[in-house]
Amino acid sequence: MKPFVEVNGLCLRFETSQSNILSNISFKLNPGESVLLLGPSGSGKSTLTSCLNGLFPRELDGEMEGDIFIDGKRTTDYRPGELSRQVGVVFQDPETQFCMLTVEDEVAFGLENIGEEFEEMSAKIDAALSLVHMQEYKESAIASLSGGQKQKLALACILALEPSLLILDEPTANLDPIATKDLIETIKNLQGKIPFGLIIIEHKLEGWTDLAERCLLLNRQGEIFYDGSLRHAIRRNRLQLMEQGIWLPKTAQYLLNSQPDLEELPLTVEEFSKFASTLVNVKPQPRKRTAAYTADTIVETHDVTWSTKRRDIISNVSLMFGDGEFIAIVGANGSGKTSLSRILAGIQKPSSGSVMVKGKALKDWKESLLRQEIGYVFQNPEHQFITNTVFEEVAFSLQLKNENNMEEKVNLILEICELLELKHEHPFSLSQGQKRRLSVATMIVDDQSFLLLDEPTFGQDAHSNAELMHLLQQRHQSGSTIVMITHDMEIVDQYATRVIVMNNGAPVADCPPEKLWDMTPEKLKEWQLELPVSVQIQKICEEEAYYVSTTS
Amino acid sequence: MFLQRLNPSLKALTILLFVVLLALIFDPITPSLFLIWTVSITFLFGKVAWKKYVLYFIPFMIFAFGMLWTTVIFADAPANKNDILLIFGMEYPRESILTALALSLRVLNVAALSLLFIFTTNIAHFILSMMQQLRLPPKIAYAVLAGYRFLPMMRDEIKIIHDAHRVRGVNQAKTIKEKWNNYKRYSIPLLASAIRKAERTAMAMESKGFTGDKDRTFYRQFTIRKTDWFFPLVMLIGFTTAVIVSFEMGFLKIFS
Amino acid sequence: MANWRFKEIVVMAALSVVFGVVYLAFLPLGGVLVGFFGPIGYDFIFGIWFIVSIIAAYIIRKPGAAFLSETIAAMVEVLIGNAIGPMLIVTGMVQGLGAEAAFAATRWKNYSVWILMAAGVGSAVTSFIYGYFMSGYAALAPGYVTAMFIVRMISGALIAGLLGKALSDGLAQTGVLSSFALGKEYRKKNAA
Repeated sequence: MKPFVEVNGLCLRFETSQSNILSNISFKLNPGESVLLLGPSGSGKSTLTSCLNGLFPRELDGEMEGDIFIDGKRTTDYRPGELSRQVGVVFQDPETQFCMLTVEDEVAFGLENIGEEFEEMSAKIDAALSLVHMQEYKESAIASLSGGQKQKLALACILALEPSLLILDEPTANLDPIATKDLIETIKNLQGKIPFGLIIIEHKLEGWTDLAERCLLLNRQGEIFYDGSLRHAIRRNRLQLMEQGIWLPKTAQYLLNSQPDLEELPLTVEEFSKFASTLVNVKPQPRKRTAAYTADTIVETHDVTWSTKRRDIISNVSLMFGDGEFIAIVGANGSGKTSLSRILAGIQKPSSGSVMVKGKALKDWKESLLRQEIGYVFQNPEHQFITNTVFEEVAFSLQLKNENNMEEKVNLILEICELLELKHEHPFSLSQGQKRRLSVATMIVDDQSFLLLDEPTFGQDAHSNAELMHLLQQRHQSGSTIVMITHDMEIVDQYATRVIVMNNGAPVADCPPEKLWDMTPEKLKEWQLELPVSVQIQKICEEEAYYVSTTS
Repeated sequence: MFLQRLNPSLKALTILLFVVLLALIFDPITPSLFLIWTVSITFLFGKVAWKKYVLYFIPFMIFAFGMLWTTVIFADAPANKNDILLIFGMEYPRESILTALALSLRVLNVAALSLLFIFTTNIAHFILSMMQQLRLPPKIAYAVLAGYRFLPMMRDEIKIIHDAHRVRGVNQAKTIKEKWNNYKRYSIPLLASAIRKAERTAMAMESKGFTGDKDRTFYRQFTIRKTDWFFPLVMLIGFTTAVIVSFEMGFLKIFS
Repeated sequence: MANWRFKEIVVMAALSVVFGVVYLAFLPLGGVLVGFFGPIGYDFIFGIWFIVSIIAAYIIRKPGAAFLSETIAAMVEVLIGNAIGPMLIVTGMVQGLGAEAAFAATRWKNYSVWILMAAGVGSAVTSFIYGYFMSGYAALAPGYVTAMFIVRMISGALIAGLLGKALSDGLAQTGVLSSFALGKEYRKKNAA
């Protein structure tokens, strides 16, 4: 079969950097074939996407060598725009893929670009929207859609152009678990209906592994170090995968921890349940948790309510936050997690009720003193940066206080956060993971004892994630209280000493994680929560053991 | 309604034409008559909520008032110094008063014409129509539309950045210099994020096959129909009538 | 249009949105100033209207950047709800031409602080001529008109020229301008 994509000896370097972002990339892809493209942050995955859809070398500031053939023709021989009929891309950020105001206009935009006749357009728009089940939103304003719906719209826009190859460039990185599942489900359904090849770029593999068996693995130098079956890679190149910070499927990861020499590795919980009878003795793993310290209350809320004109965001919340706890706040999007955390940090004033910090009402605190007690790490760390170098960034709040031996202190913090060698860089030029750690650094430099974090592990590779969690655990060990909002149940299970579930603006559960996992599946479903993979596996094992013991 | 269905480009050009014509008039009668005409047309042929209209009109009134009194005070020396009007017991040259009235009425006229346009036009359609009727390059048209989508994002970001900086202990500025530094700290992350968003959007649009080529098809097609010419015609009738009446009354004054 | 990267044009539009929000915030202030001082009230802050063209020209450094960006900014303005409507586009083009003239005089080679300030003054001049005709400044006393003109030029040089440069330089330091002329210049400077 003639390959649909053929890449030979592709090397690419940006003007801004000394080294190649992609080195000697060669691979082939048959028509209709699906492949996972995995690699740590900064390994050039998105750059490769730009090469495949013809944007590079046209829009490249830098040098590119090697050949790329799409459907037997060099990408540079296509006229600008022509390749969009062959290769379509869904990008990561749902906010920046559109230029029109309504759904139908946006789908039409692509069709207009390829010169589709006016008479055909309406039917094609309907067809594309129905493929992603978005027909009823045809006339909606794009601004009124949720993140997940926006990504489905982005997909519909691409599908309307009927490309032979679809590239998904981390399409779920900004979505919550429910929307992620929905998008993956939508794509799975498409595969039966229309023919297309698929390149999937993702950090977390959950849900994607049954879409593609083959994977291409990139390392930090931008080289392909593996091309073949994912199972085989996990079996044979596991160390390399981990070294490169590539996430393994959670199920595989968990099983490997207890049985490192396992031959046949299930990639999903469903697969595991089929294997379960042969694998019954998966021992539960010790958690990484550090114990909670004292039970002194550091922050408490009494009957806190916050409402906007339209509705109550937070209603009647009374909670205690003990000194030395590691607390996870979980819940569906829009359940009030972020609002609660902002109220706790004194960023948002509640409409009624009171917040006490160390026994003193929040409103009686002097702002500058409060900031020495409470740190808050925003979802997008860039928003918090205010100076021109990493060093100054950390030094900033110490300068406000004219502290002596500042330099020493800053260096120490930078070392803890593994940022010391970057201290002269501009904060904006750091990688995602480094930015997160820097914003944590700025929030612990005053020895803040109460640290709030809003989804700090969003969209990071395995390596940055581990570094961040290690850092937080260190803080916890040295006595800080950590409160983090997260969608990642694995983190909740591994690190949290207590979990608070938010639903419709109020806490509906407040207990140690184990207790939450024991609640009925109906309840968890209502709160849009999923059990962590480790717990799911343990439950299967228990059932299996029960089954064995009752039948023998 | 008629005004809503009008071709947006033609509507805009008509408005521009009359703004230019108004700039030639320096007497108060012509603009006051034309003002009545424009406002009547707006409410007769366009479905406009009068409360909102008034709300938008008020800032122009304030502006016009400022125009009025300063023009009286800072007016150029009048040709006929003895022709005097008494207002609140003060003497003013009649000519200065008339010119001041003319200028502030001009402001109100421009306001009425603008509001006629913005209250009856889908502005996104205006941009699309400029591409189809006025040869606006597609690269500019779609960049502007894409930029418009950033507006709510920017508003949210300003708020987030404000909060994020507060948490860092920034907002203790008291002197003007500190405040100025704070504004600068805000603006850099805001602009940086705008630029990055713009780059990503441009990339997404190009990967959907956008090249900026003028030869493209349109899902929303705008044309100028014969009935569209009715609007400039009606406005011209109103303007000519105003000029004639003003002339008959002996007030008409064209570019002095 | 052919020698423009689409990316550059969208960036202009995005910058325009940010300043569009700023403009809208300034409009009522301008209104109040006019209420007190008459037409000259606007002239104090008039420079803020030209800042996009200075920033775009300084960052992108292509012939037409100042004109195009001010035109786009005006269109974005209309779109985000400026009540002056379609007239604003003409105003934007007139202002853009003034700034563009200053850059054209150096054959688009020189982007020093003086030229940026001159560009701000250029916008002030063209916008004043346009305003003289459209708003009937002819009826005002020559002394007052001269004062307006001088204030507007100073505002153009300081707010548009100086502030525009300061913001662009701050942006260049963050590295987000790496694919634009100003970012490339910074890199060369740092490498040297």
